[in-house]
Amino acid sequence: MEKGIKRSAILMVLPLVLFFLILTIFPFLYMVYMSFHHYNLLEWKPPQFIGLENYFNLFKDKGVISSIDFTLLLILIALPIEILLGTFIAIFIQNIIGERFIRSVLLIPMMIPAVVAGVMWKMLFNVEYGPINYFLSFFNIEKIPWLGSSIYSKIAVIIMDIWQWTPFIFLVLYAGIQTIPQDLIEAGKVDGANRWQILSHIEFPMLKPLFWIIIILRLVDILKLFDIVYMTTFGGPGYATHSISFYIYKVSVSFGWDIGYGSSLSVVLLIAITILTTILIKTMRLWELLEL
Amino acid sequence: MKRFLLLVILFLVFVLGQNIQAQKEVVLNVWSSPDNADALVDISKRFMEKYPNIKVQVTPISWEVLYPRMLADVATKTGAFDVATWDVMTAGAVAPGFVDLEEFRKQNPDLVDPKWDPKDFDPTIWHIAGMWAGKNIGIPFYCNTMLFYYRKDLFSDAKLKLEFKKMFNKDLKVPTTWEETVDVAKFFTKKFNPKSPTDYGIALMFPRTHTLFYMYLIFFAPYRRSPEGLKKFGDVDLDYGDYFTADKKPAFNSPEGVKALEMMKALMPYSPDPLGSDYGETLEYFAKGTVAMVPQWTGVWANFKVAPALQPFDKKVGVAVMPSGRSVSGNWALGLNVASKNKREAFLFIQFATNKENDKAKFIKFGVAPSRLSTVRDPEVRKVDPRVSVFLQTIKTQSHRPRIPEEPKLEDVTVGFFSQILLGERPNTVEELNKLADEWLKILKK
Repeated sequence: MEKGIKRSAILMVLPLVLFFLILTIFPFLYMVYMSFHHYNLLEWKPPQFIGLENYFNLFKDKGVISSIDFTLLLILIALPIEILLGTFIAIFIQNIIGERFIRSVLLIPMMIPAVVAGVMWKMLFNVEYGPINYFLSFFNIEKIPWLGSSIYSKIAVIIMDIWQWTPFIFLVLYAGIQTIPQDLIEAGKVDGANRWQILSHIEFPMLKPLFWIIIILRLVDILKLFDIVYMTTFGGPGYATHSISFYIYKVSVSFGWDIGYGSSLSVVLLIAITILTTILIKTMRLWELLEL
Repeated sequence: MKRFLLLVILFLVFVLGQNIQAQKEVVLNVWSSPDNADALVDISKRFMEKYPNIKVQVTPISWEVLYPRMLADVATKTGAFDVATWDVMTAGAVAPGFVDLEEFRKQNPDLVDPKWDPKDFDPTIWHIAGMWAGKNIGIPFYCNTMLFYYRKDLFSDAKLKLEFKKMFNKDLKVPTTWEETVDVAKFFTKKFNPKSPTDYGIALMFPRTHTLFYMYLIFFAPYRRSPEGLKKFGDVDLDYGDYFTADKKPAFNSPEGVKALEMMKALMPYSPDPLGSDYGETLEYFAKGTVAMVPQWTGVWANFKVAPALQPFDKKVGVAVMPSGRSVSGNWALGLNVASKNKREAFLFIQFATNKENDKAKFIKFGVAPSRLSTVRDPEVRKVDPRVSVFLQTIKTQSHRPRIPEEPKLEDVTVGFFSQILLGERPNTVEELNKLADEWLKILKK
């Protein structure tokens, strides 16, 4: 009887497992397999096994280095600003007039498809007709070539990333704040705690796990940044705004058609994401243990 | 029971009958770049009237997506499309995936239209948008090239002419060299001439896309194709294009290559955000009256025609040969996928779409630049569009990009490099361009 139940359970789960294996595991394994091959679609030759050569070439590739530079810049500048802004909004939006409306409006950037957002930002950043330069002209600031200068194009991508992802951080923290037991806050108030003390001694400690989750998710997202770059700067000018994912796209699809090398880049990116995530999760657990 | 069996048989006959009927209709999938799509849809309607059993589905796909999708399909031979428009510079990369139409014509003489005249195409156009390694892998469909658009009203304005004379001690005229263009562009830039009716002189597109790769040629080709250039670099190979010497080595790592970049830099102060502008932006700058001149493709004519700032159109917009005389080719061809299951029908469609009647119709109705000489020589066509005489002159003198399979890789490293030179992040010297040439040789494995 038990065997029968087990068998039917396996049979019921089997299609899903197969589906998962075909759509996820097989492409992944194939990508790993291809990373050990020289396979360029433009050469019209079958894949040729070259061992670790693709991986060694990564260290010599200037494109990889410049894309790492830009990705690090995003992590170091965009991510902290997003967290600060998201936290600030999540805290101060509580109980203000029109909270629901503001909350809905704040979520719009997250809901707009990246392609549409890209077109929109391209228009906003237009040197001649863009509203941003128009607004800046009131302060006697000369027209800024947002997408045509190495420095400004980096700033433009950072601004777009902050615009797109601050709402996500806000949403997570806002939801987190809603779950904090009100009696704790009330008790704090009874004990004479001011707003800052409630924030730093009650709300922040309770939101700490959420911050870790936000950092992990956003780090992974930044490493995967592609669409905004593709739609606005196309990695330029020069190599100024090449993100890692955009570079992988260029190597394997847009210019190189080097499936083997592109696969090795993807494998390395996957490993980097896994290591980063693992470190962050372990640090989070260590933190929790220390606090206990 | 008998009645039930009878019903089953009737049902099967009905279903199979439907299938047989459906099998008779062949569906052709045509992948097209957006600028060819409207004309192809129009042509396909007439084609379907002529061949009711062939259904043509035209799918417009953006340039950035079309090439990778087509390459992936022809490399894996999935046969997702029957006919596609391929861009001139992708010829070498996609060639193995397309049928040799010359051979196909020999094998299928019953399909050949005797009125379809292959000699009616300009030999150079036929080569670049039709031939690869001795095989006829496509038929020229959209004979695109770059033209020089200018504000006719401003160049004929008496007051402005006087101002220009005062400023430069020479007459204001449509520039015929890039050196002349610098002065004219400066004159029409408000920052340098507050009396200018336009904000900027010229709209240039030097972004981090393939655009910069072809834009360089309109500055470099005048040197490359000059008598001195031809003596130094040799004749231009139509597969390797103007970037190369006759013996297939990079030609740009030379004083002439440096001069071309210098000229691009010299014009940049008179253009709105040249490094951040592409096709769409420069089109808009001219259409809105922000600039006085713009080098652009033939297709923008339709946009300019309806732009409110450019009315009355015939008095405000003029078209000329590119300054210094060298444009760049941008042809599209129609090719037949080797993996197509409907090759005969697909061949009929290509033949129909590229016949004399449709070549003329697509130009008059949609402004898609003609591929056939009979069209550009047609008095009716010449009367309809002032571009035709300029166009005819341009296609005979234009420069060409490489069509070799390595082109995308060469393009990417070059655009990155040039972009950095234009930004001032790299010096513009022969030594620096030698570094780029070394990258090229690595890609070409020479």
